[in-house]
Amino acid sequence: MNVFLRELAAYRKSTLIWAASLSGIIIMFMALYPAFTTDIAATKQILSQFPPALRTALNISLANFFTLYGFFGYLLGFTMLAASIQAMNLGVGVISKEVSGKTADFLLSKPISRATIVTSKLGAALVMLLITNIAFWTVSYLAARAVSKEPIEAETFFLLLSTLLLVQLIFLALGALFAVIIPKVKSVVSVTLPTVFTFYIIGAIGDVLGNDSVRYVSPFRFYDTNYIITNTGLEGRYLAVEAAIIVIAVALAYVIYLKKDVRSST
Amino acid sequence: MNAIETTKLTKNYGTSRGIVDVDMTVREGEIFGFIGPNGAGKSTTIRTLLGLIYPTSGSATIFGKDVVKHGPEIREYVGYLPSEVFYYDDMRAIDLLKYSGSFYKKDPKAIEKRIRDLAALLDLDLKKKIDDLSYGNKKKVGIIQGLAHEPKLIILDEPTGGLDPLIQQQFFNLLREENQKGATILFSSHILGEVQKLCDRVAIIKDGTIIKVEQIKTLLENSTKRFTLEMATTPDTEIFRIEGVSDFQMTAGSASFLFRGRVNEVTHILAGLDLTDLLVEEPDLEEIFLHYYEKDDAQ
Repeated sequence: MNVFLRELAAYRKSTLIWAASLSGIIIMFMALYPAFTTDIAATKQILSQFPPALRTALNISLANFFTLYGFFGYLLGFTMLAASIQAMNLGVGVISKEVSGKTADFLLSKPISRATIVTSKLGAALVMLLITNIAFWTVSYLAARAVSKEPIEAETFFLLLSTLLLVQLIFLALGALFAVIIPKVKSVVSVTLPTVFTFYIIGAIGDVLGNDSVRYVSPFRFYDTNYIITNTGLEGRYLAVEAAIIVIAVALAYVIYLKKDVRSST
Repeated sequence: MNAIETTKLTKNYGTSRGIVDVDMTVREGEIFGFIGPNGAGKSTTIRTLLGLIYPTSGSATIFGKDVVKHGPEIREYVGYLPSEVFYYDDMRAIDLLKYSGSFYKKDPKAIEKRIRDLAALLDLDLKKKIDDLSYGNKKKVGIIQGLAHEPKLIILDEPTGGLDPLIQQQFFNLLREENQKGATILFSSHILGEVQKLCDRVAIIKDGTIIKVEQIKTLLENSTKRFTLEMATTPDTEIFRIEGVSDFQMTAGSASFLFRGRVNEVTHILAGLDLTDLLVEEPDLEEIFLHYYEKDDAQ
């Protein structure tokens, strides 16, 4: 419990900043929604003149883009990029900080098992992601209600929102795994940014090429906005892929962390 | 029961050597010195005992329990102070020490009282942030976190670096007190002098292997000194041919040698010389190994 609380305290400020920034972005963009939809026909015409490849690269679907869900889902795609960085920062950060801060000798010479340490740390990271999501979901819902002329279908809306947390969980797990594989993490973002952007770009390239199998590779394409809006549900097979990735990454992180030699910091 | 017992304990780091077949027994209640040059394997042995690294082969027990299988349970009654201490920079000393105490089953109030007592004794300001503490003061935090839960076994890995002589003296007194209360102490160092001050028995480790375990008394009797002489006239080298002299070098007007035995025998010789300068010093460990233990090995 003490390690868990210690991590919560250590990341309190950064979690508040992330939650506030993500919420701020979504308020700002949702404020544009009324202006954007005043002349749908004209905007639609401009967008339809875009080359289809560009539209797919920008992930714009003409059918849904002008509905509140479509517009929000589109924004969510970008927010997700930032939120994934937060999640992976947490995963890499909580696990690697004892080695990079040279405090591993202190912590691991205490009467606590390594498994408990990993559990406490990942538990704290999870709680911080949940806090971020609760704040972000609440702000998003209120913002959507404020700008929408019609009542909002909560189910569709929260399904869209849930993808943010779902993608974050993947990057949290990957972060934990990377933190135990990389011998010494000098800077967390130098691990996080390349990884998150690589997956993001793979997803975008897949869209342009119209290659559907890419969807299994990039977490950013696991949950398709248009599918959620049309079917009011998430695609089961991608949930299964996600579960598999998380279980494997976290299990490997535990195994490696438990077996690892903590070399002298000097 | 023995406090520490290692059996053919071996650790390799990939292809590079850590320690090889270390057999060592530390009896309950003794202050056991662990001495050897830097890189000899002291830290490797200690880190294996603490479960920070895992042995390649062989085994080790602390109070009869295997260090790999029962790590957390063993560490409940072990206090550890490494040579270099690193803590969370954003914490105040008191918060760090309470955090440290929170891992042990002992009553938190008792631990906190002990933290404050030790801080007063060592003259440490507990309200300061770790980041703002000098190296010596961080070391004091290290001493307190190692002793606050009154461990039955205290493991010190080159603990004196960065401590000024006065604090070092207090620290040694503290260790003697703990020892009298029943704590077993494993004290590693590359400085023979400090081990001599404190320990009952010592193990000497070199190149990853324990080459000798001796009573400190024996080691003291065998105490080796390096003599460096400056003389107005150059005497006959023959007068230095007494038992115990080694590594003898003489150039015009100066001589240098190691001497192992009663110092008096040398001062007798020196009395007859026209000295301009004399230096008697503790040889460093490397020298002792080179001229004493390697010869022993060869015999």
